[in-house]
Amino acid sequence: MRKPDGSSAFFTTKLEKLLDKARANSLWPYPFGTACCGIEFMSVMMGHYDLSRFGAEVVRFSPRQSDLLIVAGTITDKIAPVLVRIYEQMPEPKYVISMGACACTGGFYRAYHVVQGIDEFIPVDVYVPGCPPTPEALFAGVLKLQEMIERGETHYQRKVAGMKKAMGA
Amino acid sequence: MATREVRRAAVRQAFPDEGLVRELPGGDQQTFVVDRGVLWDLAKHLKEHPDLACDLLLDICGVDWWGKREPRFDVVYHLYSLRHGHRIRLKVPVGEQDLVVPSVYHLWKAADWFEREAFDMFGVRFSGHPNLRRILTHDAFQGHPLRKDYDPGQRWLLREEEQYVPSWAKVAQEDEDHFETQVLNLGPAHPATHGTLRTVVRLDGEVITEAETEIGYLHRCFEKMSERHTWNQVIPYTDRLNYCSPMINGVGYALTVENLLGIQAPPRAQAIRVILSELSRIMDHIVDIGANLTDLGAMTPFLYLYQAREEIYSLLEACAGGRLTVSYVRIGGLANDVPHDFAEAVRYLLKRIPPLIDDMEKLITENRIFRERTEGVGKLTAEEAINWGWTGPCLRACGVPYDVRKAHPYIGYDQYDFKVPIAHTGDTYARYLVRVEEMRQSLRIVEQALANLPDGPIIVADHNVALPPKERVYTEMESLIYHFKLIMEGMKVPPGEYYGYVEGANGELGFYAISDGSGKPYRLKVRPPCFAIFQAFPHMLKGHLVADSVAILGSLNIIAGELDR
Amino acid sequence: MTNDVIVCNPRPLRFWQRLYLVEILKGLGVTLRHFLGNLFARKYTVTVEWPEVKREYSERMRGRHVLLTREDGSPRCVACYMCETACPADCIHIEAEEDPEAPVEWEKKPKVFTIDLLRCVFCGFCVDACPKEAIIMTREHEMAFRTREEAVIGLDQLLYRGPLDQLDMGYRPYYGEPRTQIRLPIPRQPSS
Repeated sequence: MRKPDGSSAFFTTKLEKLLDKARANSLWPYPFGTACCGIEFMSVMMGHYDLSRFGAEVVRFSPRQSDLLIVAGTITDKIAPVLVRIYEQMPEPKYVISMGACACTGGFYRAYHVVQGIDEFIPVDVYVPGCPPTPEALFAGVLKLQEMIERGETHYQRKVAGMKKAMGA
Repeated sequence: MATREVRRAAVRQAFPDEGLVRELPGGDQQTFVVDRGVLWDLAKHLKEHPDLACDLLLDICGVDWWGKREPRFDVVYHLYSLRHGHRIRLKVPVGEQDLVVPSVYHLWKAADWFEREAFDMFGVRFSGHPNLRRILTHDAFQGHPLRKDYDPGQRWLLREEEQYVPSWAKVAQEDEDHFETQVLNLGPAHPATHGTLRTVVRLDGEVITEAETEIGYLHRCFEKMSERHTWNQVIPYTDRLNYCSPMINGVGYALTVENLLGIQAPPRAQAIRVILSELSRIMDHIVDIGANLTDLGAMTPFLYLYQAREEIYSLLEACAGGRLTVSYVRIGGLANDVPHDFAEAVRYLLKRIPPLIDDMEKLITENRIFRERTEGVGKLTAEEAINWGWTGPCLRACGVPYDVRKAHPYIGYDQYDFKVPIAHTGDTYARYLVRVEEMRQSLRIVEQALANLPDGPIIVADHNVALPPKERVYTEMESLIYHFKLIMEGMKVPPGEYYGYVEGANGELGFYAISDGSGKPYRLKVRPPCFAIFQAFPHMLKGHLVADSVAILGSLNIIAGELDR
Repeated sequence: MTNDVIVCNPRPLRFWQRLYLVEILKGLGVTLRHFLGNLFARKYTVTVEWPEVKREYSERMRGRHVLLTREDGSPRCVACYMCETACPADCIHIEAEEDPEAPVEWEKKPKVFTIDLLRCVFCGFCVDACPKEAIIMTREHEMAFRTREEAVIGLDQLLYRGPLDQLDMGYRPYYGEPRTQIRLPIPRQPSS
């Protein structure tokens, strides 16, 4: 229900708020687990922590079926094109959590084969520090992301808002 | 058991010329400096002579002596004899201009990836190698990163279209019924490849006719990084090698450096190392078995077993301060003493873990569905496994009872009564059975080590190695100076080399360390057990169904952190 | 070669195992026991009900760093660069200045002290290296940041001026008996 000039009617903005709420509480994560953080991500999914209590029950291993990319582990130059491809294959709206020191900044691998932070290649919404982060830290990251989605502050939402504004102007 | 003299005579008899084969005096293991012209003959002699019988090729690596020595490079081979239990090291000096060494691939298939790695890292060309191309770095990479004159920060970007595709995968092929075969990429982001491995397969229907594996997606430059850090600072890096059982890596590294220094950790530290190593081994096997079963469709056992893992985490965290990456080992001992209720907690774990294993076994071991999916799948004979350089549970499942803890006991493993589980079928099911039994044996070791846990210090008192206690640093000038020197310059390890080895969760985990007397390792090579095991994988796949590849991969327990380092 | 081996070859399937049904029922028995145990007594439930229940970590937990202060509120840190040197990740950055109020001549204090929490690998080497017990780690580990700049924390966030017993202290140099215990099994419900 978009007006021809691109701006939304009153009704649809309310609807979008509702949709954002729904999206925030039913994230479908794609775990891009490459290293140690992948093992901690297992802990997050297993009995003791259980991410499904926050609505992210269904871990999908297909980028086409997920909207939250959790990059857990070191990204090297060799796998960076794969990461970008997977990010591009995810349908919108999509969000990214960068889990652990390596994914965020490269960590203590300041070396010839390690990407110094995945934000070189893809936009990141939430950075979770730790090497690897405890499951609680990842929970904190997911809760923060949910909050951001509800407020419309994620990269994707800001991009869409910017595009709308540009079209409206 | 043949002695050094017998082996020397056996070598000398075939190679009398000192200029071609020269034995180095002393050293941690018998070392020969070999002219590359006779390398192939000597290797063949070492493998076939009954007194030498070096049937297992453990490791090949390069060493760069840039600006220190001519010829610039050494290619170092580590050999092991399963029959006699001895180790032999070969060093082949080669100059930068003519960097070619004959390949030993046709003697030991294990040389396949190790030679490719030495080529990738140092640019050593192995003449006669069937597929000499980069392995850990990517195809757009330029230069050889482990050379001393390579800047560690120099990165090369890889574009998507530059990724490696096997040449056979580019060509369409028809089977005998004139149907086109299909080329399929398993990985690098595939639910069944834990971590980042990629296997390209050609499928005829559902049968794999051709396979090639590409690794290096998690090459984090451990070896280059360790050359840039002090001996102590390397410890956090070792945790991230095999991240399923970080404690064992730390123990292996610390043992290597302790041997270079000629010191020994106090008995209490050794017993605690044993307890935590064995618990880590259980953790590792839990992840392996659990993930393997999950890939085959049985999720429940993983959920049960993971409870044990999470509780071992509690213990590790209380001792070391980190759940997964513990950084608990220090050279000469441990960082801290264990908490006062350590024994209670371990006893709780000893009671808690067996019922969980029992539950898992009831669900799986005699389950016909599981057995039919795994029996006879990924079968390897003992000879082939040895030829590929396998060690650890995978080799034991082929019927070779080689376990470093028994064959060359370290940190007091000879005091404990435990058995080495083996099986004879060498298939996926046998590997599962061996791992389950190993968990039970590990529990036995923990029980005995806990019963005889000695009192005393947990780190050596030599303050050239270990930091002095904090209260003395705050009050005494002398301790403060020791502290300052250790932090700012790193410990001074006497020049020399040592190959230290422990039984990792996947097999023999070796650290080959060279010190030049400065505060940092001159060269630190890891001999990762996964690396040798995984190179057989594409060859095992041929003739199997694509679904079996998942079962085989899971049972090999490939940990990318250790594989790619 | 050792003789201390235990052979665990596969046992041949017995008749009833071949039937599928018996084994399936046995397996179902295991899962049913867990299910019923959970349904009536929560006997096998292990889930920690975060955030209502927090799993208590030990006093060696390596979390976010703090810089301790002296009684007068000035930082204990003397900008000796030991932690910066010991850090394998090079995530600590210190700039020193002379301390005009110091009783000893040449005494320094940090003008800039930043830690990049996203670089940090929480190995605790900075705490081990500190000769003044100025930098210690807390048990605070539930962190998440929206930008990389936000994660670089400076003196204003690192200095702790309150009483020590109110600080949730984690990994730090020496102490007597740890106050915490290894909590096994892991507590999963509020203790009240």
